[in-house]
Amino acid sequence: MPNEYQLMKDGALCQDEWIYADEEVGLSDAPSIISLSRLKAEADVLRARNAKLGVQLLADGNGKTKLGEDVQELEPYLDMLSLVSIAFPTYRNGRGFSAARVLREQFNFDGELRASGEVLHDQWAMMRRCGITAFELAPSVSLETFSDAMGELTDAYQPAADDQRGALWQRHK
Amino acid sequence: MYRYDEFDHQLVGERVKQFRGQVERRVSGELTEDAFKPLRLMNGVYLQLHAYMLRVAIPYGTLSSKQMRMQAHIARKYDRGYGHFTTRQNIQFNWPALDKIPDLLEELATVEMHAIQTSGNCIRNVTSDQYAAAIDGEIEDPRIISEIIRQWSTFHPEFTYLPRKFKIAVTGHDNDRAAIKLHDIGIVIKQNELGDVGYEIHVGGGQGRTPFIAKKMADFVPKAQLLAYLEAVMRVYNMLGRRDNSYKARIKIMVHETGEVEMRRLIEAEFAKIDASQMLAVPQAEIDRISAYFASPEFENLPATSATLDAAQAQDADFARWVRANVVAHKQHGYGIVNISLKPIGGVPGDATDVQMEAVADLAERYSFDEIRVTHEQNLVLPHIRLDDLKTVYDALNAHELATANLGLISDTIACPGLDYCNLANARSIPLAQEISERFADLDQQYDIGELKIKISGCINACGHHHVGHIGILGVDKKGTEFYQISLGGSADENASIGTITGRAFTEETIVDAIETVVTTYTDMRQTDERFIDTYRRVGLDPFKERLYAE
Ligand code: HEM
Ligand code: SF4
Repeated sequence: MPNEYQLMKDGALCQDEWIYADEEVGLSDAPSIISLSRLKAEADVLRARNAKLGVQLLADGNGKTKLGEDVQELEPYLDMLSLVSIAFPTYRNGRGFSAARVLREQFNFDGELRASGEVLHDQWAMMRRCGITAFELAPSVSLETFSDAMGELTDAYQPAADDQRGALWQRHK
Repeated sequence: MYRYDEFDHQLVGERVKQFRGQVERRVSGELTEDAFKPLRLMNGVYLQLHAYMLRVAIPYGTLSSKQMRMQAHIARKYDRGYGHFTTRQNIQFNWPALDKIPDLLEELATVEMHAIQTSGNCIRNVTSDQYAAAIDGEIEDPRIISEIIRQWSTFHPEFTYLPRKFKIAVTGHDNDRAAIKLHDIGIVIKQNELGDVGYEIHVGGGQGRTPFIAKKMADFVPKAQLLAYLEAVMRVYNMLGRRDNSYKARIKIMVHETGEVEMRRLIEAEFAKIDASQMLAVPQAEIDRISAYFASPEFENLPATSATLDAAQAQDADFARWVRANVVAHKQHGYGIVNISLKPIGGVPGDATDVQMEAVADLAERYSFDEIRVTHEQNLVLPHIRLDDLKTVYDALNAHELATANLGLISDTIACPGLDYCNLANARSIPLAQEISERFADLDQQYDIGELKIKISGCINACGHHHVGHIGILGVDKKGTEFYQISLGGSADENASIGTITGRAFTEETIVDAIETVVTTYTDMRQTDERFIDTYRRVGLDPFKERLYAE
């Protein structure tokens, strides 16, 4: 599934230790990202596997549903997961912003949350505020561009999944 | 009025800087129009047929004289000498050059204004009652909570790429002037038996091709929980709203398809989770800080009537007519709420020139505690004018062709840009509004007809609110010729309703006669002091239909 990308994680470019696993083939010991349907079907076996596991949450459901996959479905499997990759099929589809916050704030998920798919320059900072820590970026994006974009808005009006509290609260510490 | 603190200044300033970078990248060609589009939309910049257009936010429709003067300055320096006040209590400029827009935004920021979130699929500028803090019987000034919502929704990281645009309106009064039931979320400030102030929440109203009146989702959300409740509605919508078809993407369609009961269950389940964290409970000290900005002006203690006013009315019949039509009772003795009609007979609804804007700013500064309001019916308001000053204010307005005495009357039409400007239109709207106002040009006749709201849209997108016009007119296309469909009985107030189509459409030549037929049918049947909408509700569509389609 993944196109060519470079991984930007916690503000730095880095080697991606994860692979998107082939659905048809048994999992290796490498940290592997699988589909939600495979996770549900093979949960018992996967629980016994002794390697890192991640899942990709599809936003457009690949035509399976009109809405895409429901983050609520991940809840029973969170203890097995070290990573959730949230797909953004186009920049216009902001459904994943909510999935990220639910994972961080309601499920207290503390693994890696990454954004995959079509993500715009000025969405990175907003994604970070929603709890996304890793970005699959087009190879043309430089670290400098990324850091600049992250620094464009320094404060926030409202709380989200990061540690900014928002102006309405911050004014009265 | 709310004043920015360092925080607000910094956020808006950074945004202007960010947008300047984006415009530079667009102008240099680094960004394609496609990639630039979502960025400019977040900053209120639309691409029209021939030019970019900028929509400036006027939060909850309140402006100071300084801010109004800035609009005049912008109209002169960056546009062609006028601006257009819209049904969203915003102002639109039609001709700014793209590479000058960052400068324009920088100038706007000096008077604490911006164009953020006036377009795009985000939470738009919050709208409210134009008579806030001036009208009697208000539970609380709706601008306090509107300002809190403005801040919470600005650059919201989760809700900036929603399925579709999202509009919130607030009223603090039982008489709804903010059309709250036609918004994605409508909020009515309420007081419970214990005297606590809270909010009644309506969800899923809207116009466009499938109009819906919002459903009441909650009777009373306590003050401290409002943002948690709003965030719950937004999250449910962002997760479950349709994205496969832009015509079905508004929350009104979701409420309709999901059903009111299930929708309420979804919202309440999410609300319980969000509220548990208490993260969104605004500290009382912050509510107090914001409320202080909206403290009542220092009104003088005046008698309820004014001899100066009475004398002036006796002397000048035009003035007396204007007072009767455009001045509304104020909560404070000795004051009145002045409505400035932007619907001169034969003019373009909502347009104002730079000179007119400056004249209004001067009057506000001198006579109205520095406040101006914009209404969703595309007029302006000077909210606090002493009755003793009414004649002076009237004369000044009159000198600038701003004293048309037609508020709420048949010529106070809302009309969309229509075929003259809009590439989606089936028919012209503005010339029709002009023809109707000329047909009924006699103000005494208009006053005799009484409150009658005509709203005209050039196509089914309903920018002219025709669904909720007492008389709605919709441009339809038949084999390349312009036709107009009439609907009756719509209303955007607390008894909101969607109008019913009378039957086959009328031609350009017959539509104005048909409107006159509707009006005479009403005047023939009305009982004493009965408004058009009340007669219609009493007698129904049939008598109108009979007269309209009699051979
Ligand atoms: C001339 C260019 C314009 C175009 C192409 C245009 C296009 C549209 C479209 C496509 C919709 C339907 C959106 C939907 O249902 O989701 C719409 C709705 C609307 N437009 Fe416009 N519009 C234009 C000008 C205006 C102006 C000048 C105003 C204000 C005076 C305006 C006010 C509105 C309002 C209030 C709605 C209804 C929103 C709702 O459904 O709640 N439009 N417009
Ligand atoms: S109602 Fe139709 S014709 Fe009128 S402005 Fe909207 S899109 Fe254009």
